[in-house]
Amino acid sequence: MEPNLNPEVADTARSHDGPIETDAVIVGAGPVGLFQVFELGLLEIKAHIIDSLAYAGGQCIELYPDKPIYDIPAVPVCTGKELTDNLLKQIEPFGATFHLGQEVTEVQKQADGRFRVATNKGTTFLTKTVFIAGGVGSFQPRTLKVDGLDKFLDSQLHYRVRNPAQFAGKDLVIVGGGDSALDWALNFVEDTPHKANSVILVHRRDGFRAAPASVHKMRELCEAMHMQFLVGQVTGFDEQDGRLTSIKVTGGDAVTRSVPLDMLLVFFGLSPKLGPIAEWGLNIDRKQVVVDTEKFETSTPGIFAVGDINTYPGKKKLILSGFHEAALAAFGASPYVFPEKRVLLQYTTTSPKLHKVLGVESPVFD
Amino acid sequence: MTHVVLESCIRCKYTDCVDVCPVDCFREGPNYLVIDPDECIDCAVCIPECPVNAILPEEDVPQDQMQFIKLNAELSRSWPSITKRKPALPDADEWADKKNKLSELKR
Repeated sequence: MEPNLNPEVADTARSHDGPIETDAVIVGAGPVGLFQVFELGLLEIKAHIIDSLAYAGGQCIELYPDKPIYDIPAVPVCTGKELTDNLLKQIEPFGATFHLGQEVTEVQKQADGRFRVATNKGTTFLTKTVFIAGGVGSFQPRTLKVDGLDKFLDSQLHYRVRNPAQFAGKDLVIVGGGDSALDWALNFVEDTPHKANSVILVHRRDGFRAAPASVHKMRELCEAMHMQFLVGQVTGFDEQDGRLTSIKVTGGDAVTRSVPLDMLLVFFGLSPKLGPIAEWGLNIDRKQVVVDTEKFETSTPGIFAVGDINTYPGKKKLILSGFHEAALAAFGASPYVFPEKRVLLQYTTTSPKLHKVLGVESPVFD
Repeated sequence: MTHVVLESCIRCKYTDCVDVCPVDCFREGPNYLVIDPDECIDCAVCIPECPVNAILPEEDVPQDQMQFIKLNAELSRSWPSITKRKPALPDADEWADKKNKLSELKR
């Protein structure tokens, strides 16, 4: 999936001069990060939420959007996509600001006790509290594993298309069998200003995860000799004067063929990688953030960790555990945001105050 | 971050592990399975499934089996994905308790 970033999101980030001042920053917009917005919202703590993907949902969307989940309390069955959609609906009243398609690179404690949080897109925050809901890490493109090929990265080897114009008039080899591979293959064959000179699609088998309509279209274009499809895996390459000149494709028949090219585009989907969280000075055990089980606070007061990223005695990586952690972390954060306020537990069934923050009418019982 | 299939799997290949993997990261060879380190998300659900305790987190791999970390990474590049359990090798039970099976590995 190629993140198609809404330009408004990027513009919002740019329009801010200097850091965004806020009560809470949530790192990760998976199910637990989203529910963290809800729990903070009930306590009237405003949050900004950041994710490296261009959409909310985390693992639920990236790893199993269509797989049924059976262990969400009171929801007998739902898919990853449905769970995400429902959470987004549930947190709507709280108006959290989403900063998508960017990765948090830095979390630093300031002299005034707040934290400076910065992303790789230049968005910065000054926040009283931080909630790390980073799951199993940020999703990065899976790479093509051929020794020595790395050196062509971003010159002739690409894992995403940032600027289609750089492929105009070129001989392209596109590798992969999912929607991104097929969509871009079809796109570069079409009559557009960035039409390629030639397009060869390579996939390890003659079966595709991509939408059937795209596969059908691809086969038509192949029959009309507008593009070519090869079954096989990339096993090597040739270079000349520091330029990639061709790749070697080993077919199902075990024959290796040389395929000349200008540009190699690889779409193998995304897989999670634990990013710079390890460098934020938190107590880490086996690449997970150590927290207490009272507030799910890390070794740095004011920074909390919830969901798959944290660890404590008896930890189980379940979505429902993450929801519980988010509730207690929100209460744990309240004294940092409202030092003077006594926070009492209230129920959404009966509390007029919670009804107000949820934007619903208080029911009248006769 | 990854989990690793160790020597005990060789010539057994029970495949109980592959059914539970949420990200389909197992790769199958003729008489051994490996985990693709780029796919594994360290969820650890496969560990208790293995009847011969062949799977461990990278951090816990004993010193004398360190080469299996590299072997999993290497073999996962060329071996095909396996996502459904299948019968173990016919003489799996005979090989289950044997040590030093690396020379038996078929690529």
